[in-house]
This record gives sequence, C-alpha cells and structure tokens, in this order.
Amino acid sequence: MGIDTEDDIVQDFLVESREILEALGGQLVELEQRGDDRDLLNAVFRGFHTIKGGAGFLSLDALVSVCHRTEDLFNLLRNGERTVTPELMDHVLRALDVVNDQFDSLEAGREPPEAPPDLLAALEQLIESGQVQGEAPAAAEAAQANGDEITDDEFEQLLDALDETADGKKASAASANTVGDGEQSDGDEITEDEFESLLDQLHGKGQHSGKPDKPLADKQASPPSSSQADDDLISEDEFDQLLDQLHGEGKGPATRKPAADSKPAAAPRGEKPAPSAPAAKPTAAAGSANAEPEADKASPKGETSVRVDTAKLDDIMNLVGELVLVRNRLSTLRAQLDDERMGVAVGDLELVTSDLQAAVMQTRMQPIRKVFGRFPRLVRDLARSLGKDIELELRGEDTDLDKNLVEALADPLIHLVRNSCDHGVETPEERRAAGKPATGKLMLSAEQEGDHILLVIADDGKGMDPEMLRRKVIEKGIMDAESAARLDDKDCFNLIFQPGFSTKDQISDVSGRGVGMDVVKTRISQLNGTIDIDSTMGVGTTLRIKVPLTLAILPTLMVTLDGRKFAVPMSVVSEIFELDMEHTKVVDGRRVVMVRKKAMPLFFLDRWIQRIKGTLSEGAASGATPAEQQVVTVVLGNQPIGLVVDEVLGLEEVVIKPLGAMLQGLPGLAGSTITGDGRIALIIDIPSLVKSYGSTM
Amino acid sequence: MAEKESKGGAEVSQWVTFSLADETYGIDVMRVQEVLPMTEIAPVPGAPPYVLGIINLRGNVVTVIDTRMRFGLESRETDSASRIVVIETAQQVAGILVDSVAEVINVNPEEIDTAPNVGNEESSRYIYGVVSRGDELLILVEVNKLLTKEEWQEVASM
Repeated sequence: MGIDTEDDIVQDFLVESREILEALGGQLVELEQRGDDRDLLNAVFRGFHTIKGGAGFLSLDALVSVCHRTEDLFNLLRNGERTVTPELMDHVLRALDVVNDQFDSLEAGREPPEAPPDLLAALEQLIESGQVQGEAPAAAEAAQANGDEITDDEFEQLLDALDETADGKKASAASANTVGDGEQSDGDEITEDEFESLLDQLHGKGQHSGKPDKPLADKQASPPSSSQADDDLISEDEFDQLLDQLHGEGKGPATRKPAADSKPAAAPRGEKPAPSAPAAKPTAAAGSANAEPEADKASPKGETSVRVDTAKLDDIMNLVGELVLVRNRLSTLRAQLDDERMGVAVGDLELVTSDLQAAVMQTRMQPIRKVFGRFPRLVRDLARSLGKDIELELRGEDTDLDKNLVEALADPLIHLVRNSCDHGVETPEERRAAGKPATGKLMLSAEQEGDHILLVIADDGKGMDPEMLRRKVIEKGIMDAESAARLDDKDCFNLIFQPGFSTKDQISDVSGRGVGMDVVKTRISQLNGTIDIDSTMGVGTTLRIKVPLTLAILPTLMVTLDGRKFAVPMSVVSEIFELDMEHTKVVDGRRVVMVRKKAMPLFFLDRWIQRIKGTLSEGAASGATPAEQQVVTVVLGNQPIGLVVDEVLGLEEVVIKPLGAMLQGLPGLAGSTITGDGRIALIIDIPSLVKSYGSTM
Repeated sequence: MAEKESKGGAEVSQWVTFSLADETYGIDVMRVQEVLPMTEIAPVPGAPPYVLGIINLRGNVVTVIDTRMRFGLESRETDSASRIVVIETAQQVAGILVDSVAEVINVNPEEIDTAPNVGNEESSRYIYGVVSRGDELLILVEVNKLLTKEEWQEVASM
C-alpha cells in the first residue's frame, strides 16, 4: 500500500506518533532507573498501544508487528509479571529505534521496512519467558477487566475486535478465568489506566465526529462512575446493547467496582468505531495524555488549540517583519515631518507593532524540551558504549525559544553532549582514582536571560589541560610556539573551536574526528549566538551558549561607511568609542589601539568597502583616514577587536533578508536588510569578515 | 514552456526587447516580472564581478547583474534610459541591467532561426535563437540559461 503522506489522517498520525516516540525515548531511559514505576510502565504501554492502533488502521503491518510485541511486553511488565532488566531495555530501546526508522521511511513516503526478525524474535522470547515467569498466562487486558465470567466473555469479544492477532490472547483470557478474584484489586487499578487510554482514543474519535465536549467532560469526571459512560454513548446502539448485557448480568458480583464496569463499556465505543470511521485519528489531547504518566492530568488543551503548519507561522512572521520595516520608515518620516497628530499615530503604531511582534513570536515558541528530550537516551547509550556511568540532569526544559532555533540548536547540542560524555567524564575507575564518585554528572540547563537564551552544558569530568592544548596547537601547526605561549588558559580552551583541532589521540566513533567543534561554533555564530568555554582541571568543563530568542528579527547597530549603511549584529557589540589615532600603535603590521592598557587590533572596514568600488589602491586606503572615526568593539571568540567605521547611527531592529542565490555564502555578509529610509543595508558577519579580509583591513 | 510551444506548434510567442550596445535582444515575456527604472543599486563587497549589487524591490532584496559584463561587452555609465528588467525563473528572481527597453513583440515560431555562431563566446552561451526582420536582427535570450545555477556556480568559483 502506498502511503499518502499528504493525507490529513496520515499526517496527524505521523505528527502524533512522533510526539509519542519522543516522549517514549525519555520515558524508557527513566524506566531503567525506576523499573518498577507503574505510572511510567503504563505510560510506555499506552504509547506503543496508541501507535499500534494508528498503524493498524493505516495497515502499516511492519509497524504493528513491532509495536504489538513491545506493547505486550510492557503489559507483562506493568502487571509485575516481568521485571525490567538492562537486557530487556536494550531490546525495547532497539525496538524504539526500529519504530523511529520506520517513521523516517514513512515520512519520506516509503513503505516502512520490516523490523529485523531477530528483534521480533527476541521480544517474543521475552514475552514468553515472562508469561512462564508470572505463572499466570493472563494477557493482562483480560485479567484486569475480569472478576466475573460474563464480563470476561464479553471482554474477550471486545478483544477480538481490538486485535486481529488476538488468538493467543483468547487462550490466555480463557485461562485468566481461573485466576479469579485474587487479581481483582490489581485488576481494578489497571482497569482505570486502561479506561483512561480508551478514553483517550474515544476522545480522539469524539473530536473527529464533531462532538468534542462530552468525552472530555467525561474524562475529567474521573473514571469510577458508570453513569457517565451512559451519558455520551446513548447514541450508539451497540453500546446500549452491551450496557444492557453488562448491567443485567454484571450486577451480581458485589465486589466489582464501577470502574471495572465502565471499562468494558468504554471499550466498544473506543474500538469498534475505529474500523468504520477514520476514528483512529490521533489528536493532540490523546497525545498529551499519553505523554504524561497521569492521564487525568491531561487538561482539555486539545480543545483550545489548533495545529498550524509552521510554514504559515513563518509567513506571518515575515509579514510582521515587513510591518516592522514600515514602522521604521514611518518613524524616520515622523522625525522629519514634525507633525503632532502624525507623531501620536506613529507612536501608537509602534506600540501595536511591538506587541504584535511579541505575540507572533510567542506562537512560534517551543519549549527546549524538544531538544533536551532526546538527551537521556543519548547519554545512556553513550555511557553504556563507553563503559562509563553518567547521570544526566536537565534543568529549565520548559524554557521557550523560537521553533527554528530549537531545531537549529539540536545538532550542535548533541555534538557538545557527546563530547562531554566522551572527552569530559572519566571512566568509573579513573573517577575513583581521582577521589570522585564513580558516577559522572552531566548537567544541561536552559534559561532565559533578557532577550536571549543561555544554555549551559556542564560536566564534572577531568576538565581540559591548557598545556596539552598548547602543545597540540603547535603540533598541528595551527600556531607557532611563541603565540601559543602567549595564550592564557581561556584562550587555550577556545582552541578546541579551531578547525582541524581534535585532541583525542584515538578516534572513537563517538567524537574526535576533529570536524566537530569548529562546526558547532560556526553553527552557533550563524544563529547570532556565542559560545563560551570554561574548564578547571580535575573539576569539570562548562560550556555556555547564548542565542537570541528569535532568528526573525535581529537587533543591530547601524553604522555608516563611505556613505552607506551597514548593520552589525548587536549580539557581538560590546563597546563604542571615538578613534583617537594618537593612541594607536602599529604592531606586527596591524594598527592597534590601547584600551584599558590592553592592545586591541583595529580593522578598518573602509578598506573592505574599497573593494566594492574596484579602486583598490592600498596607498590611498591606508593613507587617507578621515579625522573622525568611531570604533565599534566586537568580541570575536574571546578576542575583542575594534571595527573602525565612519559613524555609528544607533540601534535598529532589522529583518534579515537573505541575499539571492548568486550572492549566498559571501564572506563577511550575513544578509541584507531594508532600513527605515527604504535603502538597503548589508548585515556584516564579523567572524567570516575577519577571517577572509582581516589581513587586508 | 513558452519556448517549446514556439518551436513545436503555431503558437506566437511574445518577447520583451531590450538593447545592449546597439544590439536588440528579446526575453520571453513570461519570464519578465517587471521593468524598473534605474534605481539605487547597493554594491555588495566580495560579490562576483558581474553582480552589480542589490536593490530594494518593495521590501524584497533582488540581485542585479551586469548584463553587459555577462555578454562580454564593455561596461558603461547608466543613463535615464537604463532599465532593470526583473526576471524570474523557478529558482530565483533577479534583475538584469540593460541600456533600454523597447517593446513587446510577437514572434512566429517559423521566424526563429537557431543561433548562428555569432558574437563572442560569452554571449552565445545564452542565446536561444535569432529573428531577422529586414535589417533588424533580434537575439532571443534563454533566460533559464542566463540564470541557471550551474552558470552562477561556475562564475562564482572564479
């Protein structure tokens, strides 16, 4: 069957399942620590169950077979018939990877590949051994609901409807009868969860068929009330029949709790309509309920939110950007016109535009959890393969930042976390020898600081050795011995961001190909962010990344050069002062200015601009320096450098307009923008500018 | 698309004519977004020599190329007749600076001859065909080729 990824149902399924899979990744790792956590086990079970349901509806058999087995396995786990072991987790995590891969294929419009047979076999093996172990061959779904035989039979039928491959379960359900009342209380508890998950599904269905409110109210009202089930289901004939049967025959056993009652009642409405209507359509509500261990915490968010294509949000953001530009132009005009009424109107416009800008930005905000969520798994896998014990601590996962940034930060962060695990944290033996606890710590935090986000990656590993870094940089021929000796420790740490610099002698498959850190640095710079590193030998390394809240609007410092406007990203600007040529010296062919008794190299941007004119005459460029120029101090890495410009105009928020295809990737330019007076200003990209033209400025 | 039609069927194609150094060229009208009077072109440091700079087209930044240089002609000062023809392809929108823009003409497919090996190499690369009417020779420009990525990359790597 060809998968139509454009189909709304398929789309919803993909989006929803991805969310569930993301949550599962974290939950599974947590499970390794707390293998007996019922809520967690239930959450995982529900996750696989939901995906299986959707996949089954779309006839994605490859997906169903993996999810189904994993679900069964967790069924045993949550019934306490098996315990969580590292081996089991390995298989389950592998299953998760397989499912993720299958979704990758699906999203690419291909049929998902079959899961490796050995994995399926391993899962089956685990399920079988679990059943023997537990000695109660109860496919728990049956066991939970039971209590009296009639319900059981009833339930068995439901199970058939629920699961095409229920053959095994029939048998087990039958035998579950013999288990009897002993499991009753246990059964009740699970039934509630089961009930919740069914409600989730029902909820999805309810939304789809256009009656969103009732199932919700129902859900909030908490399970133990069979009457509530009546309320919204009267419409369904089959349910009525079932209800009659249940009530007629099921009243006898007095021990049964209402919850058990409502469960089989809920089952048919949750499941049966599924094959007939596209009811398996997962919804936001179902997803959030699954993501949280406590389903009843799931608030009625699904009802008040709308899924919007991110491309639309981007469009809106662009339009707001345009509006900001128009506002800027009006502001410029206001200053020229000097009309009071006009001034008031423009003032109002400014306020509204700022509010609108903030509001639209809010819609694009996503918690950084999106990125952080994958780290527990990543760290666990790394630690296992490296033979290390690493405990990951996440802080500030709810910090919101621009969606594009969340995506753009994922790769650099993964790289840094890998690095910390690989190079930073030592093996348990080394740690013990150094008098540290055997388990290493890795802390990942995010917080908002004014108009930017601060991300910190800190480990308590061995730290970096500045001497070793100095040696390396000389060995690699990046620097000569003399300049290396002049570096202070902090400069040394920053050496790791140099291209081609890898300190690990042995290349591992985790990190250490020497292509990483400079790429990370470049990526962060592209986001107008900065990265800072600090390390103490034997104590640990801390990386601080600062990125702006949004990429769409860039605060810049407007400067003029040769009568033209240029924008310098504010994020790197630290200081502005008048250039006094008398306080400059020439050191090693480069003019430097003394600032607080430290020499700061100067870069004359007008020499770069000369290139535009094609009048590239070195003599004229260096000789004719206007009397009054200003220096904008920017921080490049850790080195402050002075950019000499004709005049500093002031702060302006600009919208970045990418340069066309044929001007893409020009060194020194990050893009262009349209200024308040309708003219074009180029946005300067300091790092690449200095790299490419530094020697000629 | 329009080119195919003009070659295969009896469809009359329309071409915007412009002049460059006493020659008349034509651009498929379907490719022309608009014709702008000469405006301030902001130069871009480090750009390839044939890129004059960028202009603000109602809030969008459009790259303007020096068509004379592209065709291997001497560059000259712009004057009041100079125009920027904004052309679009599937990949991008760009402006080409020309000496002047004249009119839109209809061309019958049978009028179009394949390009003779005239002129210098730079220009013949972008020529789709020629139309001769009396004394006048109209050179039809293949916009897609003029703006194809490979061409840009090739030049950009120089």
